Amino acid sequence: MKIGLVLPEAPQYSETFFKYKIRNLTDAGFEVTVFSNKPGDDSDEIKCKIKSAYPVYEESKFKQLFFIPVILLKTFLLNYKNSRRLFELERGDGISFSDSLKSVYINSHILSEKVDRLHFGFMTMTLRRENTAKAIGAEMSVSLRGYDVNVYPLKNPGCYVRAWKKTDKVHTISDYLRDKALKTGLPEDVPFEKISPAIDLKQFSLKSEPGKINKKLNLLTVGRLNWIKDYETAISAVGKLKNRGAEVTYNIAGSGPELERLIFCAYQLGLEKDVIFHGKKSHGEINEMMEKADIYLQTSMQEGFCGSVLEAQAKGLLCVVSDADGLKENVIDEKTGWISEKRNPAAFADKIEMIMNLSEEKRKEIALNARRRIETDFNLEDQKERFINFFKP
Amino acid sequence: MRVAVYSGNIPSTTFIENLIKGLDKYGFEILLFGKLKGTVNYGKNVKVYPTPVRQLPLIFFIIKNSFILMMKDPGKFFKAIKAINRKNKSTGAFLKNMGMILPILIQKHDIFHIQWAKTVLQNPELFELLDSKIILSLRGAHINYSPLTDKKLSEAYRKYFPVIDGYHAVSEAIKKETVKYGAAGDRIKVIYSSVNKDLLQLNSEKEPAAGSFEIISIGRFHWKKGYHYALDTMKILKDRKIKFRYTIIAQGKVPEEILFLINEYELNGEVNIIPGMKFDELIKRLIRSDMLILPSVEEGIANVVLESMAAGVPVVTTDCGGMNEAVEDNINGYIVRIREPELMADKISEYIRSEGKSVPELIKNAKAVIEEKFSPERQIKDFADLYSTTLNS
Repeated sequence: MKIGLVLPEAPQYSETFFKYKIRNLTDAGFEVTVFSNKPGDDSDEIKCKIKSAYPVYEESKFKQLFFIPVILLKTFLLNYKNSRRLFELERGDGISFSDSLKSVYINSHILSEKVDRLHFGFMTMTLRRENTAKAIGAEMSVSLRGYDVNVYPLKNPGCYVRAWKKTDKVHTISDYLRDKALKTGLPEDVPFEKISPAIDLKQFSLKSEPGKINKKLNLLTVGRLNWIKDYETAISAVGKLKNRGAEVTYNIAGSGPELERLIFCAYQLGLEKDVIFHGKKSHGEINEMMEKADIYLQTSMQEGFCGSVLEAQAKGLLCVVSDADGLKENVIDEKTGWISEKRNPAAFADKIEMIMNLSEEKRKEIALNARRRIETDFNLEDQKERFINFFKP
Repeated sequence: MRVAVYSGNIPSTTFIENLIKGLDKYGFEILLFGKLKGTVNYGKNVKVYPTPVRQLPLIFFIIKNSFILMMKDPGKFFKAIKAINRKNKSTGAFLKNMGMILPILIQKHDIFHIQWAKTVLQNPELFELLDSKIILSLRGAHINYSPLTDKKLSEAYRKYFPVIDGYHAVSEAIKKETVKYGAAGDRIKVIYSSVNKDLLQLNSEKEPAAGSFEIISIGRFHWKKGYHYALDTMKILKDRKIKFRYTIIAQGKVPEEILFLINEYELNGEVNIIPGMKFDELIKRLIRSDMLILPSVEEGIANVVLESMAAGVPVVTTDCGGMNEAVEDNINGYIVRIREPELMADKISEYIRSEGKSVPELIKNAKAVIEEKFSPERQIKDFADLYSTTLNS
């Protein structure tokens, strides 16, 4: 069976998730082609073909006028049937003549391929490709992820209405994301599979002395510094703990656009020595930081699921997370960690203080529960099997 | 006295333009350097020495002015070439820098007043080449948070602040912050910005109990404006079943974070975002509101709060930057701790409950403080004092 994966770019060195997924599929006998927006070379490492879209030459009107008609002509000549079908399907959806031609252009790298399933790694990748699967005679499936479902439609209301109608199968990383998709127009009867992220248990082995906490509390968060992670709430919670007399260091591993805002927040709250921004760290370094940390903190306003919280639980860290929907499925309150109200620093500080006052025995119990749950429910082997099933016809 | 007002652009921002007009009226000879970005119409005491932007005119400009400076002061000319050559690696940057510096060196001035602190990093050669006394204006972000993340900037501040002859700080709070970089406190004069006197004649046109309670904020979208905290406040008000409408007047694209929170808190019916508008319309809108709130985490002293106080609209502001130098809690407005949306909600609730009983007194006090501390006459007199003290130091 042939699978086409539509991604913004070919899986890079760091993107273990997609590389791992593709390797599993090729090992299981699927033939995989990656359709990316940016150029990339065929990958021996993951044994897949990579086909990239033609550029749109945004920088030069002249190039647009010259190259676009040439490539369109080539596409129609070499893949007449698929191109015509896509054009007609677009017209049938009420898309204008010129925009329908644009759709053929945008999809020309896909129209030449014969695949049985066209899978979109992100919902945003379906935009202007709503009819592509049907045009090439393939099934269409999509993966639901946090940003695409939670944020993108706020800026572009109704953006997925067409795509939802054409989708044959859905992969979601959490129940909540599917609910959200239903609310924005995904028909109830479209089959779906919930496959949560999984953790390499060998890489994230249980830390020594789970449940034990240092006299000077070591808090940790791993993730990009963007607004949705709401580090301001985390930093304010650290400020409250410090004001109540606790000794705390808060380590943040990750880079991103909000660095200035967050450094200022820490400075303003008198925490410039207590909050440490480490920048982006490798898997190995994160593992080491988790080994030394006492409590893992995730104050996000929203999450699809959050792999870092899974890794922290696999390490046997005490996890305090917000009640963002994806996180409520990730952590079981008072069993594998604790859930606290989002955007409420005082509530987070209370939770952390409560954990500090628990007996070491109780904390160890929670840490071990978390590890056990990851072992049984979020291991790579299960995930691999579920993905293979997902792609089976 | 000849005063060069340097911001890099002609015309500059509103408050710098107001300063130029004020100084002109007061009788100073004003010299303006920088790129001409639009048409200007100054009084007879203001002389403009624009640097061309396009390359060919720029080259002719440099040749002509190099000749003039060489005739006038060859020593300084060669010193300038050396300093600018050392600093700029590319020819383009060298030319731009020469084009900027030559007219400044040719004209004689007693005071060179730099409007933006970041110029210290961008044009350190000024300190080597100028004979006149240098005065630096200290405003918001350039002092409060940019140097926290920009090491080069903080190093430049530490190197040059101790040798600058005089400072204008927009608030006592900024003065305190600047001293941390080695500026001598006794060289810093706090000069408050001024408010258009016509506003004092206005009064709120909103009947207290007419319709829902109208809250307004004015200012661009930027994290430092704290609109995310304002939305937390609105959620709390809504939970308390208070009927209100919150209008944000802000230029630019609405950030994802703001869209997300409005949706998350289901505030679509209560929150209204209006793109920027002209000053007159803005004021009309302001006086139809019950209250202006400033949820910022960082400010010099926000002019919009001063304008609101002058126009008779009660304000609730966070205690950021120099806000408490204008607003006194319960006397001429209301002030709450930064990053505490619940406290702001409490203030608003309390105000609504009191049915505006203390408003006449509050407005009277607000107008009085604006008249006394933030009048254009006082501002210009303060600048004149700063210039003469610095010149004679």
